[in-house]
Amino acid sequence: MAAQASNPQAQKPQTSTQHAPASQPELPNAPAPATTPQSSSQEPSLSDLGFSQQQTQADPKLQAKLNRRTEMLKIHQRLGIITLAPMAAALITGPMAKAKGRNGQTIKEPTNANLDFHAALGSATAAMYFATAYFAIAAPKIPNNPKHGAIRFHEALAFVHGPGMILTPILGAMAFQQEQNGEKVHGIASAHGAVAVATVCAYGAAIVAVSWPIHLKFWEKK
Amino acid sequence: MTSKLLYSLAFLFATITAPLAALAQADSQWLAGQSTLSYHMSHPMHEVDGVSHAARGKGICHTGQCNFLIAVPVNSFDSGDTNRDLHMIETTKGAEFPMIQVRARFAQSEISQQWIHADLEVQFAGQTAHYSNVPFERIQQGSAVRITGTIPLTCSDFKIDRPTFLTVPIKNEIPVHVDMTWHAI
Repeated sequence: MAAQASNPQAQKPQTSTQHAPASQPELPNAPAPATTPQSSSQEPSLSDLGFSQQQTQADPKLQAKLNRRTEMLKIHQRLGIITLAPMAAALITGPMAKAKGRNGQTIKEPTNANLDFHAALGSATAAMYFATAYFAIAAPKIPNNPKHGAIRFHEALAFVHGPGMILTPILGAMAFQQEQNGEKVHGIASAHGAVAVATVCAYGAAIVAVSWPIHLKFWEKK
Repeated sequence: MTSKLLYSLAFLFATITAPLAALAQADSQWLAGQSTLSYHMSHPMHEVDGVSHAARGKGICHTGQCNFLIAVPVNSFDSGDTNRDLHMIETTKGAEFPMIQVRARFAQSEISQQWIHADLEVQFAGQTAHYSNVPFERIQQGSAVRITGTIPLTCSDFKIDRPTFLTVPIKNEIPVHVDMTWHAI
């Protein structure tokens, strides 16, 4: 790039596009089209460069697997972002579904409407979350491809928000049951709110992890 | 007398032109040593560079014309994130067309100059695109020659559907910076 910038003749050249030979290999071991012209003494060919056959061969099966993987991960990404909406709403409505008042004071029970609304939002979040998770888990794995980069952090956080998303509704149901019985929420059920907050934080961090580093140009442009 | 003169002229012509002809046809062959190819991808939220050191190349100069071939496996580019690299391979049909091939043609007279202007034929993602007069800087490094320059690739040249992130597609331009060291063989 430095070379281009310093050269007064540097300019974007005219381009034209041509199709590669139309014949697509049907067999996994078929040679890649448009890759190996005949070697001549005046023009080097791909075979002169010493690449292994494995490197230069087309692999339609792998391409199909990659296509399916991308499709599933695109759905995973979209569902994951959509899930944020009911998740945030459930977090906001959480305090409205909680009995208020300290020991010795009058306990103010939440209305059934608030409880039902919060429970509905929680259920919707859980359903969408597990649908989102399905598309990531079921996406085809590509062999011989050790993971590195932000995706590792994204996947590691699933071990936090995954159990959190299992535990939060269970604790919520326990808390709901205790309130229905006229009891103050106690025991492990009282951790429902804290577990939910930790789960949302881990979920948000997982989204940020795959988006990182966010380039400042995003704001500069505005 | 006339025949002697003709023989003398013929001898003189042959003496002068033979070395020139030999010089013009002096073949040379080049092999790539160290190489760094990197593409740059721009998104409103991201700037990404994918780097490969797996490129190989060979060049043949013959009768005043140089033909160079550079090839690099699509899956050798590392952008720092496995997920993104796999998506790149998918979107560029890198499993079906695993090699990127660049054929460069330029006048042999330029091989000793600071700037080489090459006509390029790039085979990538099952498509072929041509770029003319692409400048490359030539730096002599002992017996080796370092060539640097940028190939102004775009997604549309190769009918690549631009990947999106948060529904926003990347920029069409994906310039590829070339930095290769060549040795005469």
